[in-house]
Amino acid sequence: MKENLKDILSNLNPDIDQETLMLYLQGKLSAEKQHEVEKHLMDSDFEGDAVEGLEGLKDKRRLTILVDQLNFELKRKTTKRKSRRDRLQIKPDHTLMIAVIIILLLIVISYFIIQQFLSQG
Amino acid sequence: MKAGRFDHINDAELLEKYYNENNQRWIGVLLERYTLLLFGVCMKYLKNEEEAKDAVQQIFLKVLSEVNKYKIDYFKSWLYMVAKNYCLMKLRGNNGRDIKEISKVQIADEETDKQKFIENEKTYIVLEESLKELNDEQKQCVILFYLKKNSYNQISEITGFSIMQVKSYIQNGKRNLKLLLQKKLDNRH
Repeated sequence: MKENLKDILSNLNPDIDQETLMLYLQGKLSAEKQHEVEKHLMDSDFEGDAVEGLEGLKDKRRLTILVDQLNFELKRKTTKRKSRRDRLQIKPDHTLMIAVIIILLLIVISYFIIQQFLSQG
Repeated sequence: MKAGRFDHINDAELLEKYYNENNQRWIGVLLERYTLLLFGVCMKYLKNEEEAKDAVQQIFLKVLSEVNKYKIDYFKSWLYMVAKNYCLMKLRGNNGRDIKEISKVQIADEETDKQKFIENEKTYIVLEESLKELNDEQKQCVILFYLKKNSYNQISEITGFSIMQVKSYIQNGKRNLKLLLQKKLDNRH
């Protein structure tokens, strides 16, 4: 009895995962599980509000597709930001830098050699 | 909505990873856990599927831009507040107000007080007395729900109340019980 009374005061029920919530909305849980979810809903404003909103949806089977679409968009947003930042970061390429220095040196040396030939001529 | 490969990492750890690595991927993983709830909250307030979908995307963007401004310790509570505020602002057509972070200290204190309250033996004796003082409908629904562990559907079948009535009797019964309990405990001190 005391343990059950505790449930009235406690707000410390463990979180429900999205999959269980989905099964609850589709009426696929046993009465016992349903009660567990409902006990949690009674304590959590976030889940309580969400279930109230989701219950208003006509076709609950579409929920999985809807959530997957939103998650896909989310993934696009969070990975895009990263790659854009990556693109802005110029990573030093040592081989390229050495090649550029050698080419510049060759141009300068060639210039002086040509100048010397011209002045001798 | 399959179980993800980051399920073993809790919200606080994911946030910590984000703060340490400054990689939005971790916020993405975290938000994904709440997509269904966010959509539900938006549906509750906006009552329109397309608007709710847009709102969820806007909330994602808001979180991505705001999360860096604070050190958030209770992500779920903070996210719920962001979502609710966004929907209310949308309903009011007001985009100008900032969202304030729930104080960490405030939540922590409330939880500690609640725990002390729950662990007190005297509380249960007074609670049983208080239960008898509820009106018949509330008493019946609270007993069937919390003590007999029935679901809303079962209570509805037993009592003949609609599901909405059952929810409301339990909610109000619970709230009244807490008030009665508090009053009785205060009088005894």
